[in-house]
Parts: sequence; structure tokens; C-alpha cells
Amino acid sequence: MKSITHFLLILLSGCLLFFGCSSESNSSNESDSKKEVVLGKIALDNAWARPGSQQGKSAAYLRISNGTASTDTLLSFSSNAAESVELHKSIENDDGTTSMQPADEQVIPSGEKLHIEPGGLHLMLTNLKRDMAVGDSLQITLEFARAGTVTTTAPVQIQN
Amino acid sequence: MSPTLKSLLVSLLIIATFTACGPDTLYDLSGDTFQLRNSDSTQVNFPGDFKGDISLVTFIYTNCPDVCPVITANMTNIQRALDDTSGVNFIEISFDPKRDSPSTLKEYRDLYELNEQFTMLTSHPNDSDVLLDKLDIVAEKAIIDSLGHDSTNYAMRHSNTLYLMDRDGYIRTEYPAHRVTPEHVKDDINYLRSE
Repeated sequence: MKSITHFLLILLSGCLLFFGCSSESNSSNESDSKKEVVLGKIALDNAWARPGSQQGKSAAYLRISNGTASTDTLLSFSSNAAESVELHKSIENDDGTTSMQPADEQVIPSGEKLHIEPGGLHLMLTNLKRDMAVGDSLQITLEFARAGTVTTTAPVQIQN
Repeated sequence: MSPTLKSLLVSLLIIATFTACGPDTLYDLSGDTFQLRNSDSTQVNFPGDFKGDISLVTFIYTNCPDVCPVITANMTNIQRALDDTSGVNFIEISFDPKRDSPSTLKEYRDLYELNEQFTMLTSHPNDSDVLLDKLDIVAEKAIIDSLGHDSTNYAMRHSNTLYLMDRDGYIRTEYPAHRVTPEHVKDDINYLRSE
């Protein structure tokens, strides 16, 4: 009787071990099938542009997040709505006046964000190819030294 | 006269001078007339045509891609913050009249969907300095086209000023136009209304 009990206990343990492992193995396989390698990337969001008239100027703004493992450098800018795009910076002078100047090269460390926003850095769009009114949109393409080109769509809107 | 008495009299004189001028009157435009052009090309006598109303007066140029639209946005935010906008004018005057014709200003006001309470003004190109000088507004060309190929392609170094003008043409206070909070201006407008 004792040996039968031992036998049953061993059998039960074996079953538990088997099905336990088996179950774990199944769920592991499931998650393996769902797993994908997410590479760090440069993400652009909060993009928008001011209205403007054909051949006139506008400004575009966005946030750049460097989700890669490396520092990256913003090299150039373009848009399907303007002949020229430059990164400029509005600065407040000691006498209280404001002026604008081309911005220095922007280096974005890994994990950091670069805010291109009103009153500071802005993408200056010159010689607009068409009128840009509220409700329109345009594409902005940024080229990075490591990540290559990244494009986003910017709605035309009025700042609140 | 003892040195102590002399110092006392000088101090009193300084205090009297400041009290007489009043810290709440920065510029007196009550007797001035500046002929400007509206965005519909009609002539405007500034500030006479706005007397009887309270006016917010700021200065922009339409080729300004960043800070001037921020100023315009702040003006509309102030307008939205007011419970009652009757008797208040929102005036934007161009300090770049060579490029900002009335039709250019009309385009700007249409693009930024400014309502009828906004008045966009420009001057005759040779007259603009008189008003700007009177109100200590700085506006200088700052050439960005370093090669100088295009003389019309310039940016400007400029003041960032918003003035609050009372019903009689006195500029009563000033703010940093691009970042003053609407609530702050609203309180001052209500103060002028109560006078």
C-alpha cells in the first residue's frame, strides 16, 4: 500500500512537472511569436506650421525625440511646401529687443528631446510653393547623421 | 543752506517730479496725429480715431515668421480672456511699411483669422519713424541673406512691446508683448474702464 502511495505521488509530481513546464513552455512560445525587436528610433511629434501665402514665409514647429542608443545630429531640413527650410532661433537681446539668427548645428543626445517651438528654435519656411491656410497640411523631412531621413506631417494651424 | 537741508530739498524735488509725471502715463499721444493706412487702404488718424476706446497697441512685421505671430496669438488670447470686449481695440502697427502694404496686412489678418476688433495699420514708408521714435520702438533691418543677393529679404531686430492706451490717447503701461499673461492685461483694462 505504501509503495502504491509512493508510486502515485511520484506520478502526480511527474504530471505536475510536465504540464507545468509544458504550460510555461507554451506561454513562452506564444510570447516569442509576439516578440519583435524594437529598434530605437528618432520620433517626431507635435508638428504644426503657421499659415502663409504663396512665395511668402511660414514657420514650422515640432518635437524630436532621440530614442536611439546614440547621439545624433540634425543635418538638414526640407518640406514639400517650401523651396527652402532653415533652422533659425529667435533671441532676446540685452536691450529687450528680439532678433533672429540661423541656429547652430543641433546635436541630440540619446534619450533626449529637442523642442522646436514658438519664440525659440523654429523651422523657417521661405518661398512657399502654395498658400497654406488653416486645415491644410505639409510634410517636413529632417535628415539626421545616423538615423537618416525622417518625415512627418504638420497641420497648418493658428497658435493659441 | 546746510547739506542736510539741501539733500532733503533735492529728494523732495525728485519725488515731486515723479509724482507729477505719474508712473501710469508713459507717453502722451493725446495731442498727436499720425496718418496711417488701414488694411482696407483707408486712412486712419492715430490715435484720434480710437479716442473714447481703450486700445492695445503693438508692433509687428508680417515677414516675421516666429515672434510676431506669437505676439498676434497673445493679442487674441487677451481678447478671449476678456469677459466683455466692447470698447477695446486691438491694434497692430507694422514697422516695415516698405514691405507691409495695406493688402499685405489684409492677407495677414485673413491668414490669422483676426476679427473686426483688430486693426492692422501701416504707414507711408517715409513716415513710420516718427511714430516709432515717439514710442521708443526699435526696428532695424538685420540682413540674413549674407551674400546680399536680395535686398528685400531681411529680418528685423525689433522691440517686443505691447502698450495699453487709455480713452484719451495716453499710453498708460507697457508689457512684453509675446509673453505677458492675458490675465495681467485684463486687470489693467478693467482698471482703465473703472476710471
